[in-house]
Amino acid sequence: MNAERQLKLQAWVDGELPEGEARQVADFVKGDQEAQAMVGELRMAKTILAQNEPEVKLPESGEFYWSKIKREIERLEKAEAPSRPVPWIFSWRRLLAPLSGMALIAFLSVVSLNLVHDNEGDESLKHLVEVENLSEHVGSISYRSQSENMFVVYLYNKEQETEKDPELEPMDETVIQ
Amino acid sequence: MASHPEKPDVPDEKLVRRAQRGDMVAFEGLVARHRDKIYARAFSMMRNEDEAVDLSQEAWVKGWQRLKQFQGESSFVTWMTRIVINLCLDQLRKQKRQRAESIEQLDEELGGVERQMPMVTVNPTEGLERSELRARIDRALNQLSYEHRTVLILHEFEDLEYKEIAKRMECSIGTVMSRLFYARRKMANLMASYKREELS
Repeated sequence: MNAERQLKLQAWVDGELPEGEARQVADFVKGDQEAQAMVGELRMAKTILAQNEPEVKLPESGEFYWSKIKREIERLEKAEAPSRPVPWIFSWRRLLAPLSGMALIAFLSVVSLNLVHDNEGDESLKHLVEVENLSEHVGSISYRSQSENMFVVYLYNKEQETEKDPELEPMDETVIQ
Repeated sequence: MASHPEKPDVPDEKLVRRAQRGDMVAFEGLVARHRDKIYARAFSMMRNEDEAVDLSQEAWVKGWQRLKQFQGESSFVTWMTRIVINLCLDQLRKQKRQRAESIEQLDEELGGVERQMPMVTVNPTEGLERSELRARIDRALNQLSYEHRTVLILHEFEDLEYKEIAKRMECSIGTVMSRLFYARRKMANLMASYKREELS
């Protein structure tokens, strides 16, 4: 019997042949003693194995076996955590905090400037700016010129002012440009 | 409080769902339930306790990592068995590349040796106790090359078709058929020789 015929017999035993071909092989086996012997041997080997898989038990305790698995899982998860690539959409997230802060500052600046402008109804008073002065002895008057990009603060002695000329004599002068 | 993972009334499917949500206690329960079977499959292929322990543990680690991919098309233990089989096949391929083939192995690979074996017509396992029969099968499997052993394991124990075996073993269906033919004939002859040993 040639090798091809032998493999066909085996495929028939394993149910791997299409119906038509399986019928042909079955007919051949009926009339061939050598084929019958071969089929008998193949079936015997197949049956012996399929019903008697050797039983093997784990050669170590279940707890010890699991502890190694658990340790490896934890090690891999730790190792993976920092190297895991961050999707691009999430990388924007770290810029969101400073960006939103800057946007808030810009928004508040615009709003406050508008409020300042809204309150500047009297054109004649535009150059006067209030400067807070906490000293009892020193007074201050400030002057701002937007066209010249200038801001001047006059400081004067309050006591001298009452004694002398009501005209303001600048004690010191600070110019901020 | 989580239910004890080894409670037999908790089905695998429930433990798998919990494990898929990251519950490692549930996964531990699955390992406890199926560790012997997964180890046994690794051992049947590798024939070495240490390697079988290592590979079966690696399979469980991979199982945990890929658990979200498990959709339940097969049973959990079948899915895990496939993982351990693939790991064993990879390992056996690596080992094969490293070792020189013996002349006998080359003959087996080329085919033809099986045709010189005598036909076994009387069942050599008749009257044997099951434990003795299993011991002899184990001994015979040990004498096969890894290709012949693997093809037998995948076909007879895992019930895979030729096509599926060819895919896993990265060879043609024709190769699977000839390996299976040789392996069966060799097994039958080995079992017959053990019987003769017993009688003499």
